[in-house]
Amino acid sequence: MACEIIKPDRILKELGELWVDTAKPEAGAGDEGLLRACSMTLVSFVDDEEDSMALGETLALLMREHPSRSIVVRFREGEDFLESRVLAQCWKPFGHRQQICCEQVELTATMNHLQDVASIVGPLAVPDLPRLILLRSARIVRAGALRKILPLGDKIIVDSSRAGAPGFGELGALLDSGHIAGDLAWTRITELRALVAHLLGETVPKAITIEYAGREAGPETRYLEAWLAGGLPQTLVRLQGSGGDGSGVPAVIRIDDTTVIRPGAGCAEVEIGQMKQHASLGAGKDDELLNAELKIVVHDPVFERALNRITA
Amino acid sequence: MSIEGLEDPLRFSKKAPPCAVVIYGANGDLTKRKLMPALYRLAFEGRLAPGFAVVGVSRTAMSNEEFRERMRESVKKFLEDSPFDEQLWVSFAQGLTYVAGDVGEPESYGVLAKHLEAVAAERQTEGNVLFYLSTQPSQYAQIAEGLGSAGLNHAPAGTSDAWRRIVIEKPFGHDLVSAGVLNSRLQAVFKERDIYRIDHYLGKETVQNIMAFRFGNGIFEPLWNRTYVDHVQITAAESIGVEGRGAYYQEAGALRDMIQNHLLQVLATVAMEPASSFTSDAVRDERAKLLRAIRIMRPDQVADNAVAGQYGPGRAGSEQVPGFRQEKGVDPRASTDTYAAVTFLVDNWRWSGVPFYIRTGKALPKRVTEIAIQFRTAPLAMFRKATAGAETIPNVLILRIQPEEGISLRFASKRPGSGMQIRPVSMDFNYGSSFGERSPSAYETLLLDAITGDATLYTRQDMVDASWTAVQPILDYWATQKFDFPNYAAGTWGPAASDEMLRRWGHEWRRP
Repeated sequence: MACEIIKPDRILKELGELWVDTAKPEAGAGDEGLLRACSMTLVSFVDDEEDSMALGETLALLMREHPSRSIVVRFREGEDFLESRVLAQCWKPFGHRQQICCEQVELTATMNHLQDVASIVGPLAVPDLPRLILLRSARIVRAGALRKILPLGDKIIVDSSRAGAPGFGELGALLDSGHIAGDLAWTRITELRALVAHLLGETVPKAITIEYAGREAGPETRYLEAWLAGGLPQTLVRLQGSGGDGSGVPAVIRIDDTTVIRPGAGCAEVEIGQMKQHASLGAGKDDELLNAELKIVVHDPVFERALNRITA
Repeated sequence: MSIEGLEDPLRFSKKAPPCAVVIYGANGDLTKRKLMPALYRLAFEGRLAPGFAVVGVSRTAMSNEEFRERMRESVKKFLEDSPFDEQLWVSFAQGLTYVAGDVGEPESYGVLAKHLEAVAAERQTEGNVLFYLSTQPSQYAQIAEGLGSAGLNHAPAGTSDAWRRIVIEKPFGHDLVSAGVLNSRLQAVFKERDIYRIDHYLGKETVQNIMAFRFGNGIFEPLWNRTYVDHVQITAAESIGVEGRGAYYQEAGALRDMIQNHLLQVLATVAMEPASSFTSDAVRDERAKLLRAIRIMRPDQVADNAVAGQYGPGRAGSEQVPGFRQEKGVDPRASTDTYAAVTFLVDNWRWSGVPFYIRTGKALPKRVTEIAIQFRTAPLAMFRKATAGAETIPNVLILRIQPEEGISLRFASKRPGSGMQIRPVSMDFNYGSSFGERSPSAYETLLLDAITGDATLYTRQDMVDASWTAVQPILDYWATQKFDFPNYAAGTWGPAASDEMLRRWGHEWRRP
């Protein structure tokens, strides 16, 4: 069965109708009406149903800080399928009577419609506002179809820690082609980097050792090493794995008489001589990481230097 | 300071260097409600150095443990928009210590000096100390002099990079003369660059956004002058009365409590020239320049340009509320201004002839702080016929400071249908819906700024002098008058004389 024809104009018309309906008092808008908020276009590419649901929760949290026209493109198995629907996500901030709403377009497609998806998504982007792409689909990477979706976004965000995600090579190629890119693996260590920089103050140490769990250093550890080695050319930066089955994330950082221990993702214990302090590093949830990444829609020279150092 | 190669200005937030914060008045309301929650929140965000220390000072005898427990309760109670992390508190509380001392006893400063030496050794604060005076204003100079006599106003020998700073809260004097005296005494002990006069209004995100709005956009600044702006209205309205602060408030009044400091700073931010850079002195130079350009009223001009009011009994919604003189702790014959409205003129090239109306008051119909910039009307009323002779609708740009932070622009639009009927519509930007992230409290911003040595949002002595100079003629004139108070009912927009003041210029107050 041939799938229906979908045109951007039709989706935009559906969005217009959605707002008229949603704003009616009988739809629950209340006397205060609702506020249609939008500060960017966020296009997310995902593969399976499960990831799509997890992403839905993340986007719902993210909307509060980055209200956007969210376009979720879900790729599925099969030969010929293309479908769209529009919906609104609303919430009422604490203590406010007016609802704030964002709009979402969902496209479900098989890979043979990738070209169609690109031509649908492009005109749906809100004019004059940043367009960001969240790439969680391993299918697109495997199909080598990155170049088809790149023109859609001002910035491409990936998470190199995820299985099947674009790796350092693909990210490097993105940068080489002039794109703005972000990696949640890099975002995940922002607080840790800030803590290390703060602890060092103006003192350049002789050596820093990064201990990680597992046999192989993960992307976070590699980024941390690249950042430190690049920023402290006179310091010897060493990596040391614990062996066994570990995720490769940085677990302990030793700098002269200071040790930073990460018992979990959200915190660190700092030992300076005899003094011990607890430091909060943020939970590192997807919505928090994306929140940080969406704030930056310009080239990030520190990230790019670290990535270039890894890929060189 | 950090190593240049490790800096990441796009992602790293400002962090405090190692230091000790000494809070005088550690058992007071401000410490409990604002300062300690703000410091805890900074710790929560990882903005404080690992060895950060707080030393509480007040007269009450208390152990470190008792002080920590009191602060713990306060933080839990007054922490806004943030979770309380027990584990983090335990770590944060290790840095809290307490010294009992009477500010009038010289030996108490020696005790504090010894205590700070021990704190520096244990917490590695590198000799950096921020003194925060959260006490009665009458004690500021005495405490500063006590600190000086104990040698606490400068870093110990051998710590050349260490700093000592002092933060004081408003009021900075109660008139121009007393402000000068306070300043002389403070500056005899601390250098001006180390004196931080806090005005929490300047720490508000939305007040800071005025500068971003004006100087981060290209389209508004060309209109920001006497050629296009008809007048400016600054409103800071409180819906509640004095509610328990009657004793303090009847000595201060609205003009001293709000206009002399907060609202003149807001005016300066709205009207100042662009600074050559966003650095502390460059920004403050421009603010000070603007404040100095405010026309000083002659005594015979005050009655036409300044209105005092005091609320009488009235209704707030469905509730009957007492008048000011019926409030607890207030003299039943008090002649305090609970409302003040002033027309200021700025004598400079940009603003000559443009009135800046400022009003503030208690027991007004709603709580709102906003700046409304009303532009001149279009030169030709093309649609007058279609609008049955109605005048052209002026554009108004409204910068809303609280409670619904945002920016609105009112402009004219054609009504759908045949004919050319024009009506005003509003284009709104809502801060909360575009940036859902939590805004730091004014005290978080200002404390971190003081610790990092950024005085951009603090008031300098020349700014204090200039703002006192602007309001002193009004204070002097009012001191000679016998007001027929109360002259407005609680729950209304102030005395009729205030409307009359604007009518003389052909204007009227907005109803926010």
